[in-house]
Amino acid sequence: MGLNRDGVNTQDIFEAQDMGYSGGHKGIEMGGGGPTFLTTKIDFVVNWARKNSLWPMPFGTACCAIEMMASAASNFDLARFGMERMSFSPRQADVLICAGRVPYKLAPVLRRTYDQMMQPKWVVSMGACASSGGVFDTYSMVQGIDTIVPVDVYVPGCPPRPEGLIYGLMMIQEKIREETLADHSELRSEDPDRAGLPEAGDEDISALSGPFGNSTQQEYLTGLAQTKRPDRPKDLLP
Amino acid sequence: MTHVSSIEPDIGSEHMLINIGPQHPATHGVLRLVCELDGETVIKVMPDIGYLHSSFEKLGEYRTWNQIVPLTDRMDYLAPLIYNCAYVMAVEKLMGLEVTERCKIVRVICMEMDRIFSHLLWLGTTAIDVGAFTPFLYAFQERERIYSLHESFTGARITTSATRVGGMMADLPDGWIESLKDFLDTVTKTLDEIDSLLTTNAIYLGRTIDVGVISGEDAINHGLTGPNLRASGVPYDLRKDHPYYDYETYDFEVPIGENGDCYDRYLVRMEEMRQSIKILHQAIDRLPEGPINVDDPRVSLPSKTDCMNDMESMIHHFKLITEGISVPAGDCYFAVEGSKGELGMYVVSDGGYKPVRWRIRPPSFVNLSVISKLAEGHLVSDLIMINASLDIVLGEIDR
Amino acid sequence: MAENNTIDALKNVFSESILHHEINAGDQCVVFVSPSQNTEILSWLREEPTQSYDLLVDVTAVDFGEGLPLQVVYQLWSLKHKNSLRIKCELEIENLTIKTVTSIWKSADWLEREVYDLFGVEFIGHPDLRRILMPKTYDEGHPLRKDFPLRGRFSRAEQTRRALSQDYHDYYTEEMLEIGGEPAVSSPKYDTDKGNAS
Repeated sequence: MGLNRDGVNTQDIFEAQDMGYSGGHKGIEMGGGGPTFLTTKIDFVVNWARKNSLWPMPFGTACCAIEMMASAASNFDLARFGMERMSFSPRQADVLICAGRVPYKLAPVLRRTYDQMMQPKWVVSMGACASSGGVFDTYSMVQGIDTIVPVDVYVPGCPPRPEGLIYGLMMIQEKIREETLADHSELRSEDPDRAGLPEAGDEDISALSGPFGNSTQQEYLTGLAQTKRPDRPKDLLP
Repeated sequence: MTHVSSIEPDIGSEHMLINIGPQHPATHGVLRLVCELDGETVIKVMPDIGYLHSSFEKLGEYRTWNQIVPLTDRMDYLAPLIYNCAYVMAVEKLMGLEVTERCKIVRVICMEMDRIFSHLLWLGTTAIDVGAFTPFLYAFQERERIYSLHESFTGARITTSATRVGGMMADLPDGWIESLKDFLDTVTKTLDEIDSLLTTNAIYLGRTIDVGVISGEDAINHGLTGPNLRASGVPYDLRKDHPYYDYETYDFEVPIGENGDCYDRYLVRMEEMRQSIKILHQAIDRLPEGPINVDDPRVSLPSKTDCMNDMESMIHHFKLITEGISVPAGDCYFAVEGSKGELGMYVVSDGGYKPVRWRIRPPSFVNLSVISKLAEGHLVSDLIMINASLDIVLGEIDR
Repeated sequence: MAENNTIDALKNVFSESILHHEINAGDQCVVFVSPSQNTEILSWLREEPTQSYDLLVDVTAVDFGEGLPLQVVYQLWSLKHKNSLRIKCELEIENLTIKTVTSIWKSADWLEREVYDLFGVEFIGHPDLRRILMPKTYDEGHPLRKDFPLRGRFSRAEQTRRALSQDYHDYYTEEMLEIGGEPAVSSPKYDTDKGNAS
């Protein structure tokens, strides 16, 4: 699809460049001029191409990985959405699907895989364990991969059905549709010094993985400070 | 010729360290294999596991006896119902509880169905490892039928949690047996199709015959069980040797191999699926009517009418719901023939509402420990085939 | 009745070392033996033709907490006689050492490593006794002991920081590094003091 340049004079193109598009590599401040005809059309074309050729990087660990395989097999067929090729190499992948529980021993591997992926990249956290630790509120499990890598879409379920995963990936497509190239230098910039580091800070990790539910109340021996019943707001107490 | 000898030390063998996994499509999970290579020959394999250690056994000590059931199927997500059944069978054995006749047969159906379920996934992924994609799609089509059967019975596709101490969560729904019969018809045809694709395929034969050979004696010493042991010619099958749920009255064969190589392991699993189909046909025929849950005050809730009219039943209901069942003090090891080998559940109770210790005897953990012996001297590509032929599931290795 | 034969035979051969026995869960035979004699008893059980417990099914341990002795459990199966037998050794919680049985069964290798990792039982003479499930640098102790809290000893933030602050020495054993040599490019090291990469 070629762009018809006849109707656009050169001055407009320069203006568009000043206003934002391609500002990233020219070092110009991103403009407050808003989208122009040209940038919106380019955004549309680029996003259309991107969202229909997402290559997933399957980071499958446990039960969810089996459902991910089921969604790639014939009954559900992820290929219908342009995800024909499961890219087992992170360098050629667009979407990291973290399917299954992630112990602390695996956390650096997940982070390394994410760091190795090229921009633009998105992350799907598939299943309860990846999203929040699930039933495994234990010594060895990461309480949600959003403490390790940034997550775009959480798919709930234990495990989610293949329809759920496909819906999550369509939400990624929806997210791509609304992106503009003008925002990219801000949205997609990465600090190389952050490679290999947890996404969340200490306070965020404590807040995200604080004790909740009844798992920590069910201790076999009492008197352990770490597994005391958490304080709840007064109005919830009987 | 002097030139050659002077060059030789430079091109001589410098061993290389190759790291496969933990994020690798051919390791069937998050297994990590660190290999020492001489050229393309494997000198030594050093497996590194624990990348999926989710502390099931510790968590089990904080859960009541029935709350552990949902943990069991997250351990081996390839054959969840076998794990559900094995766990409650161990607890029932410790309690001295005899389940109803219908429950026994339903559990036999569940376990044999999931043996096919697990072997089909093994078949598909192993075929991918040698470059054949079609068997994967064929196998998953049959697996989708089992998914539907799981779903209509238990409400979930993989994490079934179908058993309870003393019975099942529910009786089989109407028409379920007919769907199972339909599945048995289609899976027989699919197995024949996959058979014709792989069993005499020259590439497949070349990749599997005489690869990863282990003798029967070594296999016993290394603790192999299940199809891996039987492929080495040792006819050890708990369904025959230590029968539970009247397996001795079913008419089926235990296939055994001769050479103990990857091809024999493939043949044994293919034949096992056919034998499971045979058992399933017999179990369907003898499925009796009657209650599925045992009528024992220790585990079964009183009926709703009794609860409303009778104070003792009300108290009993309340105690069972709030405290859970209590299991007498003691310990019990109960093993069933899982899809991957001897699946043992070891429970220790102090008479309370939670176990003191819940231990799973993991078949694939022990089976995997033999990989460094099997792969020595083979090529790297054979290592992938050997790993596939052992049929491991990381959720249960790492627990 | 074969189980009882085993107990009688064991008592005849190792009179002092067989402490007591019990029948659990209806028909399961459990024999408590002296920990100092475990290899002798187990290797006799394997070699003696009338017993021939040739399959070591499982090695595990049970911690009851409250200072009670920790039990090391060996689950055996005889392929020839189709019998099972459970041998238990009780170890004082202050002194968790026992002889390894890897010389009798190869399958004990990983199973004993797991017991060492999760319970801290030291198997004397084990060829490769190191952690198997938990990371090499795990500092919080032995998780399956009763005094170990379910959520671990450190805070979640500390656990996350420790998990992500490993370098290649923590991923490879000394043996592997000897084969492979030092890596050309080292991974970014997480500086725990500053909280950033150096």
